[in-house]
Parts: sequence; structure tokens; C-alpha cells
Amino acid sequence: MAPVRFRVNGKPLSVDADPSTPLLWVLRDHLGMTGTKFGCGIAQCGACTVHLNGDAVRSCQVPLESIADASVTTIEALATNGGAHLQQLWAELNVPQCGYCQAGMLMAAADLLKKTPKPTDEDIDGAMTNICRCGTYPRVRAAIHRAAEKAA
Amino acid sequence: MKGLLMQQDGAAGDLPLDRRRFLVSAAVVGGGMALGIGRGGAATGAGGKPVTGPWGPDAAQGSEFSPWIEIAPDDIVTIRVPQPEIGNGAMTQAAMTVTEELECDWAKVRVAFASIQRNHIEKGVYNVGFQGFFGGHSTEPDRMAHVLQLGASARERLKAAAAARWSVPVADISVKNSVLTHAGSGRTLRYGEVATEAARIVLPAEPARKPRSEWRLIGKSSPSKLNIPDIAHGRATYGIDVKLPGMVHAALMQSPVQGGKLKSHKPEAVLKMPGVRAVIVLDPAKTRGVPAGTKQAATFGFGDCQVQSAVAVIADHYWQARTALEALPVEWDAGSGAQWTDSAKIYAAASELRGKDGARTVKKAGDVATATGKRVVEGDYGTPYCENAMMEPLNATVLVTADGAEAWVPTQDQQQAYWTVIDETGLSPEKVKVHQTFVGGGFGRRTQADDVRMAVAIAKEFPGKPVKTIWTREETFRQGRYRTPITTQYKAVLDDATGLPQMIMGDVAYVGTRPSFMLPLGFSDQPYFNSGIIPNVRLTSANLPITILNGAWRAPCYNSHAFNLETFIDECAVAAGIDPLDYRLKLLAKWDKAWSDTLRVAAEKAGWGAKLPKGEGLGIAISCWPVANMHNNGSVIATVARVSVSQQGELRVRQVDVAFDCGSVANADAVRAQVEGGTMYGLNACLNEEMTVKDGAMVEGNFDEYPMMHMADAPVLNVHFEALSGHERMAIIGEAPTGPIQPAVGNAIFAATGKRLRRTPFRTQDLSWS
Ligand code: FES
Ligand code: FES
Repeated sequence: MAPVRFRVNGKPLSVDADPSTPLLWVLRDHLGMTGTKFGCGIAQCGACTVHLNGDAVRSCQVPLESIADASVTTIEALATNGGAHLQQLWAELNVPQCGYCQAGMLMAAADLLKKTPKPTDEDIDGAMTNICRCGTYPRVRAAIHRAAEKAA
Repeated sequence: MKGLLMQQDGAAGDLPLDRRRFLVSAAVVGGGMALGIGRGGAATGAGGKPVTGPWGPDAAQGSEFSPWIEIAPDDIVTIRVPQPEIGNGAMTQAAMTVTEELECDWAKVRVAFASIQRNHIEKGVYNVGFQGFFGGHSTEPDRMAHVLQLGASARERLKAAAAARWSVPVADISVKNSVLTHAGSGRTLRYGEVATEAARIVLPAEPARKPRSEWRLIGKSSPSKLNIPDIAHGRATYGIDVKLPGMVHAALMQSPVQGGKLKSHKPEAVLKMPGVRAVIVLDPAKTRGVPAGTKQAATFGFGDCQVQSAVAVIADHYWQARTALEALPVEWDAGSGAQWTDSAKIYAAASELRGKDGARTVKKAGDVATATGKRVVEGDYGTPYCENAMMEPLNATVLVTADGAEAWVPTQDQQQAYWTVIDETGLSPEKVKVHQTFVGGGFGRRTQADDVRMAVAIAKEFPGKPVKTIWTREETFRQGRYRTPITTQYKAVLDDATGLPQMIMGDVAYVGTRPSFMLPLGFSDQPYFNSGIIPNVRLTSANLPITILNGAWRAPCYNSHAFNLETFIDECAVAAGIDPLDYRLKLLAKWDKAWSDTLRVAAEKAGWGAKLPKGEGLGIAISCWPVANMHNNGSVIATVARVSVSQQGELRVRQVDVAFDCGSVANADAVRAQVEGGTMYGLNACLNEEMTVKDGAMVEGNFDEYPMMHMADAPVLNVHFEALSGHERMAIIGEAPTGPIQPAVGNAIFAATGKRLRRTPFRTQDLSWS
């Protein structure tokens, strides 16, 4: 198979690997971008969440062959894609514990706020299905509400 | 050609190997504005000649005041911390402690991981206090005193250096926010400007530390964790993120039945697959052992940290290794573990041992046979195998060469990891380096270094290249060191007049490969059995040793005992016709007031006593970790849960109120976060968690089979500080909340439905009512 060309964080690039390789491992292993995390590999945990053509997706479920010409945004570029205020709130509210799930949480939260600038608790429950084993859910919820207030 | 073709290189490229990339930056207190990231290259702000040592890459960029503290010309204070950052803020706490005495500018404080190899070479410079490298206890009193002293000493040396520069008495110099000021002239110097001279000064006597009453940071301020900006920008390096030149990747499969052996495999079937470099067989017989004449100092020993029979595939990329491993024909000899055809058989065999000959008496008071009373309460309680399920799957990266080994590990205890590498390779300690990374959750799973052991065993067979071994989620789940299953048969005879137990008998059975995880905490150490309130007590414990490996699971054993005991006590209260809160207050009347205070605060905040409609209920429970039979010890936690259960049996935990007494707190928000996290961890355990066994192997492999609560399931969670006693201890707080939440929810379900749940998880039980 020919190399697959796509953009990551605005940069055009091309990767030659097995077409079934999940985007998660393309990012982490072939491109050396390890901010996106491996948690389960089966779309359960959301640790691997990135934005694909502007929408949050679980990158462990996206094979390389499906992303020709696509545009991918990862946690490494969230700050320059409208997420800086969220990242700052994450520190202010001391949201992460171990932090491993938080890249995925932030990518999911940024997607939610883009589509629903004033989310209700139900909106948050519906959009934020990422798993956090450290139990940061109350703080993630608080930070999303705070971000919405600040943006208003 | 397979590989990477990059048109433009932005994100890729190997990071420097320098440990300094693990440095994390401080956030401005209050403002929350992130400062710069770690100090990348050697050129950054380093004016003075770095002090170097045998630990090489750990060498300082500034002037070392002690192995713990370094100050650079640009005022950056780097504090090297032996404990890892596993999410509890241990490193940030160490930085706060130093800052308290050093009077440096918090925005200029960085933390870095201390080197275990340096600790070895310099004879324990970091190993201060109880389990110096263990990820738990950041406010351990001996370590705190030591670090405060180092901060005070560095401050006085800075003052002495400034005094010498200005030829003025030291007494005329004051310090604040990394600035030295001369009282008479108003002249100032920054710490960085005199650090080189100051680091050389030897004080005639160590300065006195501030009295506790003058602390301005510890207990007063709640800075958020220093590594959060790096986490939030995807820059924090966890073990799984380590990148080294020439690194290859390994996928691992251990005998599905623990204790089984590899029977056969066909490496030729996969060796020609893309990227595959080698197929490796792992065998415990290949462990070389600590070199003769060297005394090993592994924190927990090696009993729970042996090579398991396994195969691994090494490939250029992880996905290639994993794909090839899945295609590898393998046959296993299950061994004796296959006799455990299902979980029920295990628990039945264990329960059979309770109270029988072989069982050990762990507590005895009075004579249980003398108790008289009309009301007898009896029940059989238990919790199953559970998996730690930290979000970062197990992994480690190891380079073994002819004359050395280096490991990059997300461990909860560098010292355990270090000695494990030495033991597996047979190299002398001087030739081994361990690099701590950030840890994507531990919960006990990363204490024993069995993960490090396996990764070293693989890398040893592929010398000269760094090998990163990543467990799949399924391998992580099915090769756990599980929560010890505990069942308890309790019996009480209640006094006819008071309703309190005249006697309690409790017979425990553990299922444990090794006795190291048969802890009586939350059981025989509870005040009920030690304050004299119950005249006749007999508690025993027995163990069923089997092939399935158990280990530390957040507050080991306590997390089960708390469920079993506090569910039983609730049943006693109901049988006595006494409110469960009042009943516990009566039972704790002869013990520290703090226990009763936590109960009262949690109950009051939760609206205890309100009349609720059927289908809604409040439940309460209390416990203390660790060691509850000493006064003013550990963290006492009282939890009240409010649940609703539909007639169809759908359970919803609506609100949880937690009150606690850990003595005093160093960083209130860090404590709050740990109470939240520990409570959520216990909540998920009682609602959802069970690893089941089939023919000796674990069944559940991923989160689709082992459910985790999501945001939508999380209750309102209130943490209350009003019960804090103010006792001087700053007790360990991450574990204790994991206990009481489980019986609190179970007791609330009883209050709501009349159904008494004596086993977890509740998810699998019928809660419907009419
Ligand atoms: S790793 Fe993709 S959802 Fe868990
Ligand atoms: S912060 Fe540790 S898993 Fe979410």
C-alpha cells in the first residue's frame, strides 16, 4: 500500500505502515506523538480521543487506511486550537490526579464546548463517556461548567 | 519499505534522554498561569559549572545544596524527590515542604525524580523515613522533618553567602521569595546570584526549624499539582511514552492460567511477519539473582515478583509485535491452577476453612460462650477478586548491554524496581540505572515490580537495544495481582437491655497465594474490638493458597474487611432496633472522640434522619486506615451514601458525604482530591467490580466486561473538613476512603428496599422491590 497522506496539527505528512494500524499507534509509535494515550484499544475508555476533521473520535478505532487527506488535531495542539483556557482551568481546579486519562478528557471536553457552548449536566453526561480510574469526574464537570461561564 | 516518511517534522523526533525532561513546572499560586516547561537542553540558564556525580544524567544544572536541593543561577530551585507522582501530589508536597523553610518563590520551584542509583552509591541519601521511595506517604513525619531541615539549612547558607558578599552581619539579612535583603542598606541579591558560594558554605550548626505555628504554606495553602500543565498539554512522560534511539517494541503473553507453563509454540509462523525481530521465551529459571555478596534491599522483597512462563514478540513497532503475537501458535500446560473451574469453587473452598482447626485466632477477649441474649445476628459477607485497572496499561522500557542495564518505568517504588532489575540481570547495583517516569495510576499494582521483572527478562534476550514492552489491556487484566478475596462469617449475640453485642465472633477466609496480603486491617484492629465495649470477642483468620496471584489493591484487605464488618454492624443495629448512626456512636463511646465526630459530621451534612420514601435510603459506615487500634492514628473516614432504587431494581447513588480525621492537612485541596478519588474507587468496586475465574484463568479482559463508572454515574460527592481533630499527624489519606463507601451504599440499599446485600458487586444482584 502507498503511504497515507494526512495532516496532524496542521502539518502535512505521510505514513507508510500496515493499513490496519490504528491512528492511535500511528500517532504514538510512528510519529512519536505520545500525548494521545492507549487505555483499552476497544473504544471503551476515551484515553485516545483526538479530533478528526473537527470531531472527537477514539483513535484506537480509526485505521490508517481510512484517514487519507484527513485533518487530525491532538492534545499537543489543543492550546492553539481553542483549548488553552480549558487547559488553564484544569490546573486551576487541580483536575487531574494521575493525569493519564486527561488528554482524552480535554479533547472530549473541547469538542463538547465547541458544539454546545453552554452544556447542561445532561449534555456533559452524554458527551463525556471517558473513563477516569482516579475519580476526577466531579472536577472535570466543574471545569467544563467554569469554562462555559468564562466564555459567556 | 515500511517506516515513517515525514514531510515536515513537528512532533516526531526523539526527546533527549536526559532525565530533566521529567522536570515539571510550577504554576503561579492563585493565578494558575503556566510557566515554561522543563529545562530542556544543558544550555538553559546554566551559568555555573554543574556539580556532577556518578549518576550522570541526573547531574545538576545549578549548585547543589544537598542531594535534594539545587539552585540555579536563574533562581530555579529543583527539588529531587524519591517518591513517584502517582496522582496523589507527593512530589508537589515535597516541593511545598522545602519551600516552607527555604522561602523561595513558588513560581520558581521545580521537582525532579531522585535517582535510586545515586541513593545506592551515596548510601541512602534519599531513603529517609518509612519506605523512602514508596509512592504513598508524602507527609511521613521523619521525611518531612528531614526535608524541612534541608530547606532551612539552604536558606541559612544563602544568607551567610550574602553576608560575606556585603561584609555585614548575617542577622541583618532577611529572605523572601528568593530574594535576600540587607536591612540597613536595602541592598538585595537573588538566590541564584549567590547560590554557587552558598552551596560551598558549611554551617557551624544546623539552624532551628520554624515552629509549626509559623508555617505559612503547609496547611495554609493549596497549590495544585506542579505537573498539571504538562499533563494538560500532553507533555508529561508516562512509562508508555518513553522514546529512545533504536528502541524496539515487545508484546507479551503469559500463561493464561497463572503458574502454568509454555508447552509449545511455533515462532517460524510469525518471524517473517512485517517488522518482527524475534520471538522470546520467558522462563523463571533464567533469573540470575542478585550478585553474590550483595545484600538486596528491595522494598517488598521478591516473593510477589517472579518471572512467569511467557512468550513475547519483538518488532519494530508495537502494532506489528501485537499482531504477530496474536498470530503466534502457542500451547500452554495449565498446571494445577486448572482445578479452579470457577470462582464459586474457590470461594466455597476458602469458606470451608473458616473457624476450623488451622485457622489462627487474631483477637480474643472474654469468653464468647458466656454471652446471653435473645437476639442473635449472623451473616456471611464477602468481596471477590478485583483488578486495579489503572488507566495506563502495564509497561516498561529496558536496555540491557554487556555491562549494564537501564530501565524506564512507571513504578510506584523505584527501590523495588531497581533491585528487581539487579536480581533479574545479575548485574552489580553500580551498573544498573532506573529512571522513574510519571505513573498513569498505580493503586498498588505497580508496587511489586513484577512488570519490571518481565520487561527486563525480555530485554535481556535482546541485548543492545532498548525494548519497550506494553501489556495489552487484556493482558493487564488477566495477569493481575488481584485484590485478595475475603469472606467473613460473623455472629453476634445482642444484650437484651442495651442492644449492643455481648459477643462477636468473626471468622475470615482469605484467598491468597502468599500470606503477605492477608492483612487484618479494618478487621481485628477496629475500635469495636479494642475499646472494651464488647466484652467477648473471638476473631480468626484462615487462608486458602492457590495459583491465582494476589497483591496490593488500594488499601489491601482493609477495603474488604470494611465492607464485611460495617455491613454486619448495620445488621446488628437493625436487629437491636437502634438507628445505625446512634448504634455506631454507642459502640464508639469508649474510643477517640474523632471517630464519633466524623460520624456526626457526615450524617448531619447528608441530612441523616430525614424521612425518605420507599426506594430511597441513606447508609452510613466508618473505618480507619491504617491501624485503627492506636489512638490518634491513621485516617478515620465516615461516609454516608444516599441511593435511590427503582421498583425494577435500578440503582442510582445520588449523593455521598464524607467526613474524615487525618489529624491535620498539609494541602487541603490535595487531601480533598484524594478523598474524592478513594471514594470513587471504592464506589466502583462495590457497584461493578468482579474478576471471575474459569478453568484457572481470569475471564474479564477489558472495560466492556469489567465496567467502570462514567461521569453520568458519578454521585454528588461532598468532602467535609469539620471533623478534623487538629492532631499533629498528617496521616496518609488515599486509601482510607476506599473502605466505608462500600458498606455505606449497601446499607443505604437496605434502607431503601429492605434488601440486605452481603456480597459485592451489587450490579449483579436483584434489587427490585414491591
Ligand atoms: S484506547 Fe481508544 S477508547 Fe480506550
Ligand atoms: S486522572 Fe488518573 S485516570 Fe483520570
